Amino acid sequence: MKVVIVGNGIAGNEVASYLREHGPQADDVDITILSAERFPEYDPCSLPYFVGGEVDRDAVFRKDQDYYRNSRINLVLDNKAVSIDPEAREVRTEKGDVFGYDSLVLAHGGSLFIPPIPGIDLDGVFSCKVLAEADRLAGHQGTRAVVIGSGAIGIEAAEALKLKGYQVAIIELLDWIMPTLFCEGASRFLADEMRGYGIEVYTSEKVLEIQGRGSVESVKTDRREIPCDTVVVATGVVPGRPLAETAGIACERGILVNDRMLTSAADIYACGDCVQTFDAVSGEGCMYQLKHNAIEQARVAARNILGEEARYRGAYPFARAHYFDTHAVTFGKTLKGLERTCRPDQVGVIERDTDDGYLRLLLEDGKIVGGQAIGRFADHAGLFMGFMWRGVDMDDFKKNWRKIAELESVFPWQYRKAGQVLGLSALDAPDGMEMART
Amino acid sequence: MTLRQEKVIVIDPSKCVGCHSCEMACAMKHFGVCHPHYSRIRIQEFREVNTFVPVTCQACEDAACIKVCPMNARIRLESGAVVTDEEKCIGCRACVYACPFGAPVIHPENGKTMSCDLCMDDELGPWCVKACTMQQALKFVDARDAARAKGRDFAAMLKEQNEPPHQDDADFSFSFSVE
Repeated sequence: MKVVIVGNGIAGNEVASYLREHGPQADDVDITILSAERFPEYDPCSLPYFVGGEVDRDAVFRKDQDYYRNSRINLVLDNKAVSIDPEAREVRTEKGDVFGYDSLVLAHGGSLFIPPIPGIDLDGVFSCKVLAEADRLAGHQGTRAVVIGSGAIGIEAAEALKLKGYQVAIIELLDWIMPTLFCEGASRFLADEMRGYGIEVYTSEKVLEIQGRGSVESVKTDRREIPCDTVVVATGVVPGRPLAETAGIACERGILVNDRMLTSAADIYACGDCVQTFDAVSGEGCMYQLKHNAIEQARVAARNILGEEARYRGAYPFARAHYFDTHAVTFGKTLKGLERTCRPDQVGVIERDTDDGYLRLLLEDGKIVGGQAIGRFADHAGLFMGFMWRGVDMDDFKKNWRKIAELESVFPWQYRKAGQVLGLSALDAPDGMEMART
Repeated sequence: MTLRQEKVIVIDPSKCVGCHSCEMACAMKHFGVCHPHYSRIRIQEFREVNTFVPVTCQACEDAACIKVCPMNARIRLESGAVVTDEEKCIGCRACVYACPFGAPVIHPENGKTMSCDLCMDDELGPWCVKACTMQQALKFVDARDAARAKGRDFAAMLKEQNEPPHQDDADFSFSFSVE
């Protein structure tokens, strides 16, 4: 069996190593990985920490060349796949090589969205998504940086540059930072923390132009002009559809797959940042381009290639926001996301705000579908994610949490713990009590 | 599915009296100090019902912490235990947040996470279990015995506890590995 994997990232490598380790006739599987880049597998999530000097460059790699040799994986570097012929079952690369396949896996991820801003190609403009760019940024000598975009990569890049001694400003087009990850309240708190560490944060602001002669001299927004010698573009990732489209594979925002990670073309699977899947809780179409989803999708694809009936259970958002001494986490939907799909009367919010932390749980029809936590509350985020998976009715929980606890055959400490974390009275108060106010 | 872990620490909260000896033993074994903040096993206290639950890493078969770590610092050892590679950890706590038990704990000085390594370098076995000899709330047993005692497949149980259910799998149990 010949398996060709396009993309040498997290998803592609997970497919390859799963096939090699688990196939019943694993040794008969001929595995080829086609990569547009020049490196063995590295983790894009690690790059900001390498740029900031928190870890050595070696730490970003998940595999070395020996791994591929020892696992008999044919790794083709620096040779981007450009077209697919599903009839002939062939992939063609930019260097004109042709690879035949029995099963093809599209795991080439996405590429950085480059906003159409004048001056975006000046010297001193970087991104932080791929290793070659991170290498350039790490080697750059600058003093003042502007980060455009405040998603996870933008925030981490800002911290990295601050650690390197840069003066740093973040510009976000939308109303608050990390707009897809956090609701307004948590985000404003996180922005204030950021300012406390000396990073300038500007929201609802549009970058009009990157100015400079040859190299960057300033960034002009609709509100101000910030002198700088470094710009980091972190404005999101566009799923890599063009390759799939050469084979006529159905795409919407990303490559469409079913719950076996199969695309609309026979024996062509897709996984990772390039696919559009469904939400594990709501079943809605979604694109959560996150590492854990890529890994899970890749395993489903690999198992199906091996003839198993594996089904994907859906993707879910989970991300931490960590910079300096601030620790926050978010999972599931934000209020904004929820309001897009629900009637107002279906939406509920449980909120706790104390000196040492903040918690917000978002409910749909009384069940947790998302949450955000900062500080003390963040350490217990896993409990509430568990509630989300189990579909615990929170109204019922508030009223009967001690009873629920007693009904379980084993001591369900997670219920008790959640009660403690939410500040419900631990004592024998009458049922139907109000939640403790904070 | 392969069951990687041969021996596991099985917890019986009904026998725990909250003496914190396990925490002391763990801190002593790994850091030479008798202080619960250095322990990888932590007792959750529910004094109102006079119940104590020792919580430690369950080394889930399909561990969320491994998948969410941005530095790939959460690693599975030969023994099956899942631990943090201190060299790589940046202290972001993603593993703590993703864990259904919040099992990884934070080192009080360096801010990095740590979790149970089953004391595999010590022929005594896990020190916490030794410290609990009197109460027997912690036992170090063959994983298959643990599964038999529960009357179900151990690996399947871990999987069920720690993974989001399939959409059609509404009856999602909420148990903990008790004997």
